[in-house]
Amino acid sequence: MSAISLDEIEKIVSAALGGDRQAETRMLVALRPGVLAVLRFGAFHRWVDAEDLTQETLQVVVERVRARTIDDPRKVFAFAAATARNMALNAARKMLRQQTVVDSDLVDELAQNLETEPSDMSEADDRQLAQAVMALLDELPTERDREVLVRFYLDGTDKQQLCRELGLSPKHFDRVLMRARTRLRTIIERRAPHLALVPRITSVLLPLAISFTFWVRDFGSW
Amino acid sequence: MKSLDRQSLEEQARLVSRYVAGDLSRSERAEFEAWLVASHELAAEVEMERRLRRGIASAARRGWLKRGAEAVSEVRERRWRMAIAASVVVSLLLMGVTFVLPNGSRNESRTVASSSQVIPALPRIVRLSANRSLETTPDIALSRQAPPSELTIEPAVVVLTCPDGSLELECAGGTLPQTPQYPEYEMDLVSRQGSNLAWRSARQIASTGPVLSFVLGEPEKLAAGDYDVIVRGHSPDHEEVVARFWLRVN
Repeated sequence: MSAISLDEIEKIVSAALGGDRQAETRMLVALRPGVLAVLRFGAFHRWVDAEDLTQETLQVVVERVRARTIDDPRKVFAFAAATARNMALNAARKMLRQQTVVDSDLVDELAQNLETEPSDMSEADDRQLAQAVMALLDELPTERDREVLVRFYLDGTDKQQLCRELGLSPKHFDRVLMRARTRLRTIIERRAPHLALVPRITSVLLPLAISFTFWVRDFGSW
Repeated sequence: MKSLDRQSLEEQARLVSRYVAGDLSRSERAEFEAWLVASHELAAEVEMERRLRRGIASAARRGWLKRGAEAVSEVRERRWRMAIAASVVVSLLLMGVTFVLPNGSRNESRTVASSSQVIPALPRIVRLSANRSLETTPDIALSRQAPPSELTIEPAVVVLTCPDGSLELECAGGTLPQTPQYPEYEMDLVSRQGSNLAWRSARQIASTGPVLSFVLGEPEKLAAGDYDVIVRGHSPDHEEVVARFWLRVN
């Protein structure tokens, strides 16, 4: 499945808002990657099962679209993002409430685990990713760009400080980062395509399942 | 959310790095996430940002990549060595005879090698109680002459609440309060001269204890002067300064 353009998504959501049931299914497919991204990359990503919450969020969104209380596709996007965020917050709160550990060693261990980025990669994939980044750094046109990336991402040097020291404008700094991301994407697609952004089969099946549930619930047949 | 045009999308793409680092304000984040839902392109940018961060950290962990200052000095050293080697070759060609290598360049090589041997500084950990002393002495004092390799500040400032968010000595059912008041915390160092932000930590999720831990990687980069050490609690709909300390760099 290729990525859907911004215009196309807006049109699909407009059609769904107009009551087009086929567009509704397409809307769920189109919104899924974005909702998943909010849950995977948002403030509470360590605490949530993003796949589960994506499904719940899309259910709430489709209910709201059917209720016709939203008339603008942009409001649907904002509503979906806010719903995903609130669901993640509730999941995080629930998890905190469940933590009644008093043993200090165990608390330390727990805290350490929480600070660790959840690993969705094998050691081999992690190594390939590191190699891709090294290839990216080698390919950079100037030593300054390399310094920007290493000092920003590895040393945690502040953007303002880097701009001041290296004589860069904030816009130029952003361009270096954006070019690096684009280049890394190309390198990953060439060297380790399985690490690239291939949509999972669930990204199609789940919205279809949600849509199916609504059809059966509301109309008694598919 | 602004109109769904290309320019607005590019404006949002500039925020990707700050979003992944958790540095956006509440309203910026809400707008960014609305765009994230609408744009697969932006979602891909965010994914790549995370891959880039992870890849760089992984390369550093494997010893393939050194921190900025070291890496730059290594490159400069390599260039210096290459320059010496090139001048030796040129000298030999010009002289056109079989002479020994010039002593000068050998000595220079040795100088470069010995100058890179720096005695490593030790890290330092400072524990700070929530109850501060009188404002007559700094809570933390650092010397620029002998800075630690890294400074870990561990303030015990997380207020623990009952599951319903209430502040009690004992919760319903007789359990002790164990839920951090805010899900995330961050630390700022703000120079008292000019009120400039000198450093900001990554946000960290509070565990079940009252102590947080923030690591300042390069304390030697702080200019001499007094700083406010501000710890801020964040929830999606609220943020609050939960503690303030005093750091002096001599």
